[in-house]
Amino acid sequence: MLFLASCKHDDLEVAKPNETVRAATDFVKNNYELRLFHAALLKTGYADQLNGPGPFTVLAPTDDAFNAIGIFNASDFDKLNQDTLKKVIGYHILPRLLRLSSIPSNGIDVRYATLEGTELYASLASTNQSGNSVGNWLYFSGAFASRKDVTLSNGTLHVLSKVMKPNFKTTVQQWLANHKDYSVFVKGLKKFDLWEQLNGNGPFTIFAPDDAALAKVGITSASLDLLDKNLYVGSRLFGAYILYNKHFFISDSQIFTLINSGGYFNYTLKDDNHEMEFVTFPENSGASLYYQLMLKDGGLPFPQILKTLSVNYYHKVDNLCSNGLVHYVQDGLVTPAQALKK
Amino acid sequence: MEQYFLNKTHSSKRLTMLLLIMAVIGLMFATGCSKVDYTKIEEPAYLRVFNNLNYVQTLSGKDEKVPFFCMMINPVTDASGKFTGAQIVGDYLDKRDTYAPPYPSHVGSSTSVNNPEYPGKENVLVGPILNGFDLSSWAQVPSGKVRIVFAYRPKNTIPFFQLEEALRKDILIDTTINLTSKEVYTLHLLQKDFVTKKTGVLLRQENFHKLSLSDSLVYVNFYNMSAKGFWQADASLKDQSSELGTFKGGIKDEMNIYLSLYEDQADLSHLAPTVPGFKGRYLANVKLNTSSNAVSPYVSFPLWASGKANGVITNVWQRFDFFVPGMDITNNPFFGSETETGSNWATVNCLLNGKVRLTTNVSNAYLPNLNVNIHSGVNNPKTFATVNTIEVVNGRVYLTTIQRKYAPPIY
Repeated sequence: MLFLASCKHDDLEVAKPNETVRAATDFVKNNYELRLFHAALLKTGYADQLNGPGPFTVLAPTDDAFNAIGIFNASDFDKLNQDTLKKVIGYHILPRLLRLSSIPSNGIDVRYATLEGTELYASLASTNQSGNSVGNWLYFSGAFASRKDVTLSNGTLHVLSKVMKPNFKTTVQQWLANHKDYSVFVKGLKKFDLWEQLNGNGPFTIFAPDDAALAKVGITSASLDLLDKNLYVGSRLFGAYILYNKHFFISDSQIFTLINSGGYFNYTLKDDNHEMEFVTFPENSGASLYYQLMLKDGGLPFPQILKTLSVNYYHKVDNLCSNGLVHYVQDGLVTPAQALKK
Repeated sequence: MEQYFLNKTHSSKRLTMLLLIMAVIGLMFATGCSKVDYTKIEEPAYLRVFNNLNYVQTLSGKDEKVPFFCMMINPVTDASGKFTGAQIVGDYLDKRDTYAPPYPSHVGSSTSVNNPEYPGKENVLVGPILNGFDLSSWAQVPSGKVRIVFAYRPKNTIPFFQLEEALRKDILIDTTINLTSKEVYTLHLLQKDFVTKKTGVLLRQENFHKLSLSDSLVYVNFYNMSAKGFWQADASLKDQSSELGTFKGGIKDEMNIYLSLYEDQADLSHLAPTVPGFKGRYLANVKLNTSSNAVSPYVSFPLWASGKANGVITNVWQRFDFFVPGMDITNNPFFGSETETGSNWATVNCLLNGKVRLTTNVSNAYLPNLNVNIHSGVNNPKTFATVNTIEVVNGRVYLTTIQRKYAPPIY
């Protein structure tokens, strides 16, 4: 008898869990800030893979980041070498779930494998030991993660304020040789016998002036031809731009400033008594970095500052090569007169 | 009819009894017949390993290798020379802690796999009680000529033998050492030369269990195992952390050590009353040595030196001043809170748990009290004399304490 009295159910709307969480490609497609990255995913064929089962960690550079390296429309990707584009975009995807909490606190250069095959470098400044602001400043191969841990149905996504620039197997020597706007710098390195070593293991961190930069200190291709190399200290005139045995991203100095206020790096030039100081400062809450080089002579008791350069070209630095990194400088450090042998 | 029923129930009763007995026997076979494997090392030697290599996170040092190792004794290699296992494995060997306690007390409270010493947190066979001294912080290892390998390993939680092949190839030390059975050894992995960064091992055969040591005297011996050229090196190359006190620049190659005994651990001042007869009292001379494995002689001071002690508990704490020969506390040219002494003077205070700092302004290092105050029997706490080793390595000072087996606490 009880079975005859039916229970009247109201129509209930039960929200389906995770209905608004999308897969990687769908998320990127629907985001107004990531239109260019989406175009890149379509062009390189990663779009379908990233909609599939993951897990994936997508490091998505914003449209501003692509604009800064000269890409404004989807069609601009066609001008690039498609193989290189596929490798670089593959470098921005990790075939694993990597949330902020999985990266070791204050971890420097933690390696994670990418979809392209090689590993990228993750550095995280979690705290400052003097008890100041606890931020989690995360950099992937020098690029700042401005938004972290965006939930996707098949992984997670971090937004980068810069496009990572891996050059895979290219050495710093090959990189400089391939870029014609550094031809005067290359010519100077060859003239003063600093060129061959750049094919070695290094690692080298090179603050490379382009032709316009060297012209500002009076060095041009023509003037180099006329220079008598025996009158000049080559390890100062051109060696000042090379930092030996260090593998520095520009962001490393900022990370150490946050971890233990140790972001200043002082070193003596190789085969010369002049000294250099390197430090990085943040802008826009870390979304952009500019670095400073200060060249001092080796005078006693107090070295004199010869030149201070502030390089605010965040998108032209951190060119990662197989044996080091190349960073852009917009001005020369040493004039020929300052490098005359005494 | 009734008789029939009685017979039936009687036989069914017997049947159930039989079934029950069979079940019990079956159970006994199932649980009682498993073979228990006890590992045993024939003719063991007793070994304790410390990694004295230290690292500081700086921008200039960021590309250097982190000294985080897997120690292997008598490793097994496959055809291609790859390590696939070892008789004794000390994985996740991290830099050593300031204090090496007499019992592996950090086992229960640990939150990571990183091991500050071997055996440390490892669950292995340990040393017995020799001459009253509890050697549960020493592991049993095979004796004779053994091959010992220290391999760099990445700082993660993957066991060494499960790492990718390429990550198991970076070997720092691969050498053989000679261990005699039933002897007690301490093995130190240390830096021999600060300029060339050359590293090596120092195997020391301890003798504290063979000496006739009184249990009312506290014994201590000193070693300076710093790298050659450390104290002379520029300050920018060394850790300048203030908790290292005046040891941070290193100490000179030969130093004299003076002892002061302070009456009360509750009085956190270096100007507090000292035990009569124990203020700046000469104890020992220590010379830089990373090559010879000779044991430094033990010097002692009385446990019940203070007139306020009652034979059960004492609150005395120790202060060791390291002075370059020619200086002592009567003619100390530095003022008390000096931080830069040019490696001529360094002081370490040994009180409480080694983390409580004096309230007076002194730039000193801190270690736990050499006297162990612990609940034993009906006394809570009771003070025990110990045998200690104080080692100075490159700007840091370490304490190893060995205690005799004591009566368990009665609650």
